[in-house]
Amino acid sequence: MLPFRNKATTATLDRIQWSVTRKILLNTAKKILANGISEHEAIERAQRGDAECFEALYGLHKRRVYSLCLRMTGNTAEAEDLTQEAFLQLYRKIATFRGESAFSTWLHRLAVNVVLMHLRKKGLPEVSLEESMEPQQEDGPKKDIGTRDNVLAGSIDRVNLERAVESLPPGYRIIFVLHDVEGYEHNEIAEMMGCSIGNSKSQLHKARMKLRDLLKQSKAEKAANRR
Amino acid sequence: MTCAEFQKILPQIIDGGGTAEEQEHMHTCPVCSDLVADLRYIAEVAKLLVPMEDPSPRVWEGIQKNLEREGLAKPARRNM
Repeated sequence: MLPFRNKATTATLDRIQWSVTRKILLNTAKKILANGISEHEAIERAQRGDAECFEALYGLHKRRVYSLCLRMTGNTAEAEDLTQEAFLQLYRKIATFRGESAFSTWLHRLAVNVVLMHLRKKGLPEVSLEESMEPQQEDGPKKDIGTRDNVLAGSIDRVNLERAVESLPPGYRIIFVLHDVEGYEHNEIAEMMGCSIGNSKSQLHKARMKLRDLLKQSKAEKAANRR
Repeated sequence: MTCAEFQKILPQIIDGGGTAEEQEHMHTCPVCSDLVADLRYIAEVAKLLVPMEDPSPRVWEGIQKNLEREGLAKPARRNM
């Protein structure tokens, strides 16, 4: 443990930890599974109805699918139900996987569609281009004259960011998770959400602006508590 | 170019592009350059939100029950 840990060091260490964890998770996909076969072979066997291999694939991918569902819904019970549904659909459709994309990519897209279908059934309001183009009070030019101390760089930790993402309105949270967390491009999001690319960009911008406000607020509260 | 004008088109150019005038405003206006820095930083750290939690065992139990009920899978050993 470092004898002294300032904000910058903590943020750097957090980033290193996340980077290491991410590499471990990515490498897991290439590892030999617990039953001694490769993921590729497990997929082929699962396609032929091998339940044990399907179980192994579940073990390999459950965390990422569940995290996606949790981040998009903000609710653990819903996320678990959707994870279950995603893997049930996977079992029914796995025979159609042709290997044109990575299996994890294919499964991920399937899970995203499961979540979006669920949210549409719940009546998630459609976002329109008109709505995004109308100037709104919260979209007025930011006039807070920032000094270097007020910028966020180096001050965000994972816990605060997760909390802030959870606090986002559902529409903003979905776009933010899909683009900034999961790495989908705007044209892909537009296709999935049934909106325009311009609207996807606009909603993402609003999500980031809202997060900025939440994170600055959190930062100010921490500073106030320290006094 | 005013801050209001710049911030109106910012969603379309934050990830690249923009006219010379827009780029100049981004680099010379302290308010807007701080705003852009913050938004890009948020996008950057978001990539590091790696999956951290597993679903509870009930999820796998539910999957198994459903598959058995649909006749898609024989009962498997429960080691999840």
